[in-house]
Amino acid sequence: MYEFATLASPYSMPAALHGDVDQTDSSAQSRSRALNQFLASVELKAFKIAQAALRHEDDALDAVQDAMLQLARAYAERPAEEWKPLFYRILENRIRDMQRRRTVRGRVIAWLPFRGEEDEDEPDPISQAPSPEPQPVKRLELDEAMGALEQALNALPRRQQQAFLLRTLEGMDVAETAAAMGCSQGSVKTHYFRAVQSLRAQLGELYEPGA
Amino acid sequence: MSPAHEPLTTFERNARIVLEEGVRRIDARTRSRLNQARHAALEAAQHRRTRWRSFTLMPAAGVAAVAVLVAVTLWQRNPGGELPLLEGQRSAMEDIDLLSDSEGLDLVQNGDGSFYEWAAAQTDNGESEG
Repeated sequence: MYEFATLASPYSMPAALHGDVDQTDSSAQSRSRALNQFLASVELKAFKIAQAALRHEDDALDAVQDAMLQLARAYAERPAEEWKPLFYRILENRIRDMQRRRTVRGRVIAWLPFRGEEDEDEPDPISQAPSPEPQPVKRLELDEAMGALEQALNALPRRQQQAFLLRTLEGMDVAETAAAMGCSQGSVKTHYFRAVQSLRAQLGELYEPGA
Repeated sequence: MSPAHEPLTTFERNARIVLEEGVRRIDARTRSRLNQARHAALEAAQHRRTRWRSFTLMPAAGVAAVAVLVAVTLWQRNPGGELPLLEGQRSAMEDIDLLSDSEGLDLVQNGDGSFYEWAAAQTDNGESEG
């Protein structure tokens, strides 16, 4: 709407006189900018959601990268309001594919006679080293709460975990969450309710921000 | 931005604070990789759009020019509008006409060569008159 009003104003007439190609170019640029903003707004949360599901940092990064690529290639021309549910739907499919592949790989590896552990990544000694800075009490409390929540989330069934993270972390409403999960709104409410019940039973109120 | 714009319980509020803190603490390496992934995705979208435009915005003048070129080439080959027949081709066509005529075949079988002489004389007269 704003774009149309700007084009109609007399100040923008010279730009409009450049012809259709320039208008198409500017429209493509604004679309590209909008897509960039959208992806920037979801990438970190999407990574956390993928990490919670896959429990592996590199796999989570791959899943988010694939979801971004697929959204940009196949759905960039769709209305921007549809991007979020579409993006999370793609991400969820990617996560499911990776989990399935991992299960198959696990079965194959279980049959191999010589399976050493040399392939496992060595922990980075720098990241493992304790920080020299003294931790404030609040940060410690948050650390504890984060660890506890992460553990409890890992124990949740996948669909409950997904509904909880999409709604609580990503702030999606029931309809968007249902579109992203590929299920009914009733199912989303059920999964979310069960997730909250289960987490609260384990964690209490989790964290007291004012304390 | 509460989920479904419903009031959050204390637990949900706290859970959100903790989860958002987890997002804030994502390390620089991961952020950088996500940033690279985003730019790769945007490039892919741009590439796809450019390719699509090159197909859809093919200038109509180009198509028209090809059509004109074809028309001119055809016209130069045959300015009269009809392909000329060579002399040999014309006589071959006449032979086929004669052979396909059942009456003419009967005359050949009967060995009546005088008919052909008469017919040839008639044709020569017709052409000289015309």
